[in-house]
Amino acid sequence: MTSQVKPGDRLPQVTLFDGAPNKPVRIDELCAGKSVVIVGVPGAFTPTCHSSHLPGFVADFDKLKAKGVDLVICVAVNDPFVMAAWAGALGSGDKVLMLADSRAEFAKALGMDIDLTAVLGSVRCRRFSMHVVDNVVKSVNAEEDSSKVDASSSCRLLTKI
Amino acid sequence: MHRLGFCAGQLGSLRLRLAGQLLPARAMSLKVGDKLPAMELVEGLEMKKVNLQELFAGQRSILFGVPGAFTPTCSRVHLPSYVRDYDKLKAKGISQVFCLAVNDPFVMQAWSDANGAEGKVRMLSDTQAIFVEAAGLSLDLSHLLGGLRAKRFVMVIEDGVVKQLDVEPDPTKATCTLADQLLQSL
Repeated sequence: MTSQVKPGDRLPQVTLFDGAPNKPVRIDELCAGKSVVIVGVPGAFTPTCHSSHLPGFVADFDKLKAKGVDLVICVAVNDPFVMAAWAGALGSGDKVLMLADSRAEFAKALGMDIDLTAVLGSVRCRRFSMHVVDNVVKSVNAEEDSSKVDASSSCRLLTKI
Repeated sequence: MHRLGFCAGQLGSLRLRLAGQLLPARAMSLKVGDKLPAMELVEGLEMKKVNLQELFAGQRSILFGVPGAFTPTCSRVHLPSYVRDYDKLKAKGISQVFCLAVNDPFVMQAWSDANGAEGKVRMLSDTQAIFVEAAGLSLDLSHLLGGLRAKRFVMVIEDGVVKQLDVEPDPTKATCTLADQLLQSL
C-alpha cells in the first residue's frame, strides 16, 4: 500500500474523468502551473459529502480565489456520470470541478484509499483536502474518521493557504 | 405461462440450488422457472437489508436491471419508461416494480429522486454485484465505469419464481427491456 501523500510530494500522473468515460483528464497536466485545492470524498450523494463537505467548498469558493487558488477539484471513486449528476445536484457549477476516480487509481496513488466494500461496494477515497501548487503538495488535511468533516473542511484549509 | 427471452438467450451451466440456499460462488444463470435466490440486497438511505425471496413472495413483480444509475440510456429511456407506465403495469396485475443496479443506495436514491420514481419504482442496490454475478447477469464495465455492473434485463417474477427474463443484447440500448415492450407480453 502506498504511504499517504505529504507536503513536498508531487501529484501522481493519474487519469481521472470529467463527466463521461470518454473525457479523460490527467490530473498533473490539469494542475500544472496552478494553485489548486483538491478535495477527496468517500462517495457522491453520501450524507456527509453531500450536506457538509462539498457545500463548504462551493460556499468558500470566492475566499479561496482571493487566496490565489485557481481551481477547486473534488474527486471520488464514483463513475463519471454519477459525478456529473452530483455536480448538478450540488449546484457546484463552475466552482468545483468534479472528477471521477472510477478505478480508485488516484486514491491509491495518494495512499488515501479506504475499503468501504461492505457499505458502498468498493474501495473508496478517504475524506481529505489538499493544497497543491504547480503539482507540488503544500498541505494535506486528512480526516481520521471519514464520516466526519473537521480537518478537511474548507474553512480549515483557508487557514493554511 | 413460461416465456423465454426473445432478444437473447442465457446459457446456464449449472442449475440453481434449492430455494433457501445461497448460490455457489461460480457464475451460473438464472432462467425461467427458477426461484430467486435467498440473497440480501440493500434498499434506501437507511441501508435496509432486503431478502429477495421475502420481497418477491406472493406477489407478481417486475425486476429490471440497469448498468448504471445516471448513465445515459438508463436515465433517458429505461427508468423513465417504468415510471411512466407504472399504472399500466399495475392494471396488468403487477403489484411491485423494482430497479436493480450495482450502485450504492445513496446514488440509487438520488437517481430515483431525479426521475420522480418515488412511490412507483423501488431501487435495489446490488452493491457488491453478488446477485448479478450469481444470476449470470453481470457485465464487466471496469474500463468505463470502474467495475462489474448489471446487464440490462427485465424479469417478471411470480411468487418468487422467474416467469419471464429478457436481456438486452446491446447493454447501451433499451429495446425489449422497456416497459412498453414488456406490457405487450403481460
